[in-house]
Amino acid sequence: MPTVSVKWQKKVFDGIEIDITLPAYVFKAQLYDLTGVPPERQKIMVKGGLLKDDADWSAIGVKDGQKLMMMGTADEIVKAPEKAIVFAEDLPEEALATNLGYSAGLVNLGNTCYMNSTVQCLKSVPELKSALSNYSLAARSTDVDQTSHMLTVATRELFGELDRSVNAVSPTQFWMVLRKKYPQFSQLQNGIYMQQDAEECWTQLLYTLSQSLKAPTSSEDPDAVKALFGVNLRSRLHCQESGEESSETESVYSLKCHISHEVNHLHEGLKHGLKGELEKTSPTLGRTALYLKDSLIDSLPRYLTVQFVRFFWKRETNQKAKILRKVDYPLELDIFDLCSEDLRKKLEAPRQKLRDEEGKKLGLQTSAKSGSKDSDVKMTDAEASSNGSGESSTVNQQEGASSGKETHMTGIYDLVAVLTHKGRSADSGHYVAWVKQESGKWIQYDDDNPSMQREEDITKLSGGGDWHMAYIIMYKARFVSM
Amino acid sequence: MAPTQDPNSVGGGAKQDEASLKVPSKDPKKKDEKKEEDLSEEDLELKQNLELYVERVQDPNPELQKAALESMRQEIRASTSSMTSVPKPLKFLRPHYGILKAFHVTMADSDLKKYLSDILSVLALTMSAEGERESLGYRLIGTEGDIGSWGHEYVRNLAGEIAQEYTKRQSEEAPIDDLMELVQQIVAFHMKHNAETEAVDLLMDVEDLDLLLEHVDKTNFKRTCNYLTSAAKYLPGPDDMLVLDISYMIYMKFEEYPNALQIALFLDNTQYVKQVFTSCADLLRKKQFCYMIARHGITFDLDDEMVADEDDREALQDIVNNTKLSEGYLTLARDIEVMEAKTPEDIYKAHLLDGRASSGASVDSARQNLAATFVNAFVNAGFGQDKLMTVPSDSTTGSSGNWLFKNKEHGKTSAAASLGMIQLWDVDSGLSQLDKYFHSNDNPIIAGALLGVGIVNCGIKNDCDPALALLGDYIDKEDSSVRIGAIMGLGISYAGSQNDQIRSKLSPILNDAKAPLDVIAFASLSLGMIYVGSCNEEVAQSIIFALMDRSEAELGDALTRFLPLGLGLLYLGKQESVEATAEVSKTFNEKIRKYCDMTLLSCAYAGTGNVLKVQDLLAQCGEHLEKGDIHQGPAVLGLAMVAMSEELGIDMEIRSLERMLQYGEQNIRRAVPLALGLLCISNPKVTVMDTLSRLSHDTDSEVAMAAVISLGLIGAGTNNARIAGMLRNLSSYYYKDASLLFCVRIAQGLVHMGKGLLTLSPFHSERFLLSPTALAGIVTLLHACLDMKPIILGKYHYVLYFLVLAMQPRMMLTVDENLKPLSVPVRVGQAVDVVGQAGRPKTITGFQTHSTPVLLAAGERAELATDKYIPLSPILEGFIILKENPDYREE
Repeated sequence: MPTVSVKWQKKVFDGIEIDITLPAYVFKAQLYDLTGVPPERQKIMVKGGLLKDDADWSAIGVKDGQKLMMMGTADEIVKAPEKAIVFAEDLPEEALATNLGYSAGLVNLGNTCYMNSTVQCLKSVPELKSALSNYSLAARSTDVDQTSHMLTVATRELFGELDRSVNAVSPTQFWMVLRKKYPQFSQLQNGIYMQQDAEECWTQLLYTLSQSLKAPTSSEDPDAVKALFGVNLRSRLHCQESGEESSETESVYSLKCHISHEVNHLHEGLKHGLKGELEKTSPTLGRTALYLKDSLIDSLPRYLTVQFVRFFWKRETNQKAKILRKVDYPLELDIFDLCSEDLRKKLEAPRQKLRDEEGKKLGLQTSAKSGSKDSDVKMTDAEASSNGSGESSTVNQQEGASSGKETHMTGIYDLVAVLTHKGRSADSGHYVAWVKQESGKWIQYDDDNPSMQREEDITKLSGGGDWHMAYIIMYKARFVSM
Repeated sequence: MAPTQDPNSVGGGAKQDEASLKVPSKDPKKKDEKKEEDLSEEDLELKQNLELYVERVQDPNPELQKAALESMRQEIRASTSSMTSVPKPLKFLRPHYGILKAFHVTMADSDLKKYLSDILSVLALTMSAEGERESLGYRLIGTEGDIGSWGHEYVRNLAGEIAQEYTKRQSEEAPIDDLMELVQQIVAFHMKHNAETEAVDLLMDVEDLDLLLEHVDKTNFKRTCNYLTSAAKYLPGPDDMLVLDISYMIYMKFEEYPNALQIALFLDNTQYVKQVFTSCADLLRKKQFCYMIARHGITFDLDDEMVADEDDREALQDIVNNTKLSEGYLTLARDIEVMEAKTPEDIYKAHLLDGRASSGASVDSARQNLAATFVNAFVNAGFGQDKLMTVPSDSTTGSSGNWLFKNKEHGKTSAAASLGMIQLWDVDSGLSQLDKYFHSNDNPIIAGALLGVGIVNCGIKNDCDPALALLGDYIDKEDSSVRIGAIMGLGISYAGSQNDQIRSKLSPILNDAKAPLDVIAFASLSLGMIYVGSCNEEVAQSIIFALMDRSEAELGDALTRFLPLGLGLLYLGKQESVEATAEVSKTFNEKIRKYCDMTLLSCAYAGTGNVLKVQDLLAQCGEHLEKGDIHQGPAVLGLAMVAMSEELGIDMEIRSLERMLQYGEQNIRRAVPLALGLLCISNPKVTVMDTLSRLSHDTDSEVAMAAVISLGLIGAGTNNARIAGMLRNLSSYYYKDASLLFCVRIAQGLVHMGKGLLTLSPFHSERFLLSPTALAGIVTLLHACLDMKPIILGKYHYVLYFLVLAMQPRMMLTVDENLKPLSVPVRVGQAVDVVGQAGRPKTITGFQTHSTPVLLAAGERAELATDKYIPLSPILEGFIILKENPDYREE
């Protein structure tokens, strides 16, 4: 009876006797005792082939001391997971869109980049989207005319379509309605529609929406757009000649950042924009006199829109010329010192809370993260917390700073959208939207071509050259829950 | 002078030119003024003496004549011995050369005439007109005897004239006996005086290298052989073979067996290899030979003639079979501390790319998972552990199964096979881990398991032939993916083995009318690999018939290109042997004819550096063709294949490829990056890197894809930070283009292949030897890359695993006499070319001292930094056995 040695994995079993009169199955049973591998799963390699269960040893001609090799495990056999795995490649286009992390671009219909970029910026406001989705014909107030209604519906449809689609959307319907409502956008030049000022488009569109989204029936949400974008300003008018003072309040949808030689930073521009001179009939003097107007913010919006006043009417050339001056803007804007005394008082407690929270986070993370990373982490974390709180408080939060609510304004804003202009005059050049997604990533919407951008590149859009420069920027308020 | 006329002698030539230039350049400046006016008294006397001698030579009195000749001879000899300037006697005799010549004609034949001939011969050194070869002429009628006494310069000059005379006489078919007599003397002189290169040059000129054998001795044989072997690269066939033959014989004569073996392997001459074994009696040295054979990757069976003792033979055969490769590789990995498994994310390093990197999609992308599978396989190749495939599967999640199923359909094949890659070279545990897939009922998984078995066994031979036993039954299964898995597995594990058993299994498939095209294509490839460089007639016939049987439509299929490639691999590096088959290929359908032609040509001359073939291929690339012709792709690859053998050729080729990029048609431009990748494989040259980086942004996506893959190839296994950075940026640049992103991922996996311990270079042993199986693997992948979409981006992505044939640890591991790893200090530095340099020049520069095992990068060389041990092979690569130095004394 020959004895063989069998090698299995890293082990060698020496001196196994083979009874050559019995079928190979018996040998396999012997190995089962040694290795625990069931015979049906044993693969025994003899010169150039596998050992069959019913093989005849004499035919194989096994020699004394021959080495055999066995393969086989008692392991569980791999099974396909019960729930089949879904692959991105198999998904329909719509499902893919949600996976992309950003929505589609808009096709340029011929000089409509001003409109495309405006739409993309406004679309980034989720509250506006939800307000639009609640909008219905039945709910519309009687004082909204037909064209405004159509524009509102078209906006709603366009936003919806953008979210569903992967490929670029063609905003034909929206554009037609927009031109109908605001015929100035139908200006022709050489037979094609002219480039327009994005700021005008932005203002008009918001105005229309604010009109149509006014829901007189529901008391809780009188003016959704105003709640989102409206800034209340309290101005003090002071006449130097007569020494008389008066104050007035007004509501605007955006702050202006005036650009003069002293302005290098957004903050300076805003301050500049809140101070003004105007001529007015003085009741005491009985004639027109020069008044100094000093405005302060009285209530804060959820979304603070700032327009860089880059264009001015140049009489010589008869067009809107552009100021190329570089004006820096931060990713995180604090407008505390532009607020009125009352507002500041209200803001103090939430701000203190916010500082504490950040301090805590920093304290925890200082050892883990290094220098430059720190601010990023803080930002995104803060973003997340504000998002969370934003959800907990409903959209109908009227005045951000009003007391009694769970979340509070802090006067600190985070940059969420930038509308840039490239070119030398408002009616020419190219408009592009740069929008921060909920994931924290920045997407550049250049008409039908969205592409990812880095956050540090966003702050480089501050002008001072012929590169894209910020024209309208939008900040989102940071909340703190108390 | 010989070297200047022989463009082939590189090292020696330059040096000699320098020496000969020195003589005239020093002379005129210093001596000009002196010459006329102020000759020193000594010189003046010499001059007058010489003039006197010249006069006396013409004297009728033979006694006087003789005395004068003797004196003249004395003067010349005394001065020629120094080589610093033109010897004065020669200078002063110049004006009298004509007179003496004229007188010589008038002399009757006598000893005196011979004496005068000698002197004239020497004078002709400076006086003879170009091409007259007077020096040689007078020499031949002069006295026979010690020519060395006339000085080095004279001998050199003579050698040069002999070479010219020889070619002249050859063409006239005149006898050359008298010349050979002289050659004998000159060679003996050169070999004795450290001028081996000149001796070799002369002998090459007169085509009688055998003479060398008589004249080499212990002191000069190394330099002689070194010069011979490196000259062989630049010689046309069959001279190169002759030269190598001679150097093999010299090495054998001096028992320098490792070098002899190297040459035997280069010549692919089994007889010589055997001879090395039978001539050497030392078992330990034989072990070292076995390591060398194993590294070369050829199948070699030892018989009792080579090793008498059976146990010894078994131990040696184990080494040849590469069974210890896995162990050695893991020793290296542990020493360098890279055992920790890496995930694809560790390679992608997406955190370094802010913003742009794809926003962690929640849904698995099959394409991206497949890329991750390959990256994981390449990076953890041979380590036996990873974080996707080998994680212990717990019953609840069954995570190991999980990753497998995160791949789609054919992707599962690559995923299952990746387990084979992770267990590379470790047959025992590899097979047991792959076992579980054999019991799956999912065909792609079985196919993957079969392929995995092939990969595990790549380069490893085992008595039980587990690969054949396991795969053999699956070749004729119903499902074609399973068949391909088995066929490819066999091709990889038995590459170069010329196993008849497998041929009898695979050949029928080729001519099976029912077999699908892809099965036939892979069968052809596998046969090509198994019989690589064998010129096997029968296999060639089968493939040729298979090619002729293809229908018009099938010939248009991208996979059809594997048929000619399989055919070409049979003749890899075999030069003229291909001609008969190339003739047959002219009868093929015109759709494939040219493609076949180019493939055969490029394979047959791969690694030969044959300039004529390069020109042929360049001419093909120069044509501007109608669209649809695909044969220029393999022609461009062929350029790289032919030229890749030596540095000079590579540099020239890189330059001509650059030219093609500018003027070539699109189909050529697509192949250029791949050719660059082949030329610099695992050798990231900065210029090539830049070119590829530029091309990776090309507007033609196929050029870009090829460039990206090639970036991976040139950086393969180097962890090159610059390429890694480039690829990272490309991954964000192409984040939307799934195909290009896939290529970028693969390239990233290649760069970090084996965590930087592997190389893909088919060259080893100081770039001297070319492993045919390794080259076959690379070339196959490159041919597949010529048409990415249907193959690598389609469902045949597993062709990427053909690279495993070229994967080798780029290590030097020293072992003691019991083959246990032994750590010794070594210096590792940039290799210096010392061919043709006298003395014992430094072979490395800019070295650092490490202790073994160490990694060797491209162009690096190691040397022991201790005298305590003696390495058994002069080429310190791979496994090196160290013997204790008996003369070593501890300080």
